[in-house]
Amino acid sequence: MKKKKYIMSGGTAFAEKEDLQKLSDYAKKGWLLDRFAFLGYTLKKGTPQDLQYSLDFQENADDEYFMLFQEAGWQHVCSAGHAMHIFSAPEGTKPIYSDVETVIDRYKREKHSVGKAALSILAVMVFLLLFDVMSLYGWFPEAVGTISDILLIISTVLLVFPGLPYFAYQRKLKKLGNI
Amino acid sequence: MPRNDSLEMGELTDTSYYILLSLVEAKHGYLIMKTIEDMTNQQFSIGPASMYTTIKKLLAAELITLFGESKDKKKTYVATEKGIQFLKKEIQRRKEMIKHAEDILGGL
Repeated sequence: MKKKKYIMSGGTAFAEKEDLQKLSDYAKKGWLLDRFAFLGYTLKKGTPQDLQYSLDFQENADDEYFMLFQEAGWQHVCSAGHAMHIFSAPEGTKPIYSDVETVIDRYKREKHSVGKAALSILAVMVFLLLFDVMSLYGWFPEAVGTISDILLIISTVLLVFPGLPYFAYQRKLKKLGNI
Repeated sequence: MPRNDSLEMGELTDTSYYILLSLVEAKHGYLIMKTIEDMTNQQFSIGPASMYTTIKKLLAAELITLFGESKDKKKTYVATEKGIQFLKKEIQRRKEMIKHAEDILGGL
């Protein structure tokens, strides 16, 4: 029998609640979250249990951070990029966030982080566009223009990954009355 | 424009208020959580993510400071003089809020 299973993520910026609920439903059937995977999660076979999952974003997580969760009854399951952390706890354990101020802080951290990524891609695109125009005017060989065009298309696609979450966090913050 | 942080505005959130209050004597993170739950008869409890974030904010604002490390490597914190003054100002502000309400509702 298969011991591992892959499930897709709806994108934590857009469907965090749905993702975590899905993980909880799978845990009831004995499929427990193992780790983050490309655009999703890997589950492993285990004993069926009632678990709730929570996600936090904290780039500077240290021992103290994980110890606080542990003592509050939240087991660390996995992390991605040293910033996204998923915890699990038996149903009935109190939530990891208890006030709206610190939830706002969390979304601000996430918005800042994806915003930084989007900006660096945008900066690269400005240079590519510059190369493109310069080769159009014959200051650069034609090949430079062609390569810039291709790279521009690729970076536009890449820009979607931090770009859309950026607006998602912006909307969440607006909903919480912070913009 | 983003709303200003409440600390910058000279106010404490309920979470900061209780953390500062329990740090009049030095404690580590989990003991802060427990102290607050006991103090409020389980009426108010702080989640670990909110606790971690708020401790960092209070440290940055110099309202609390690192006191030391206990034997099990847990960091302990204590309120600074600035923190105590801040807390006293906040208590005064909250007292006045209660008084305003009592002035209006007193006759009911």
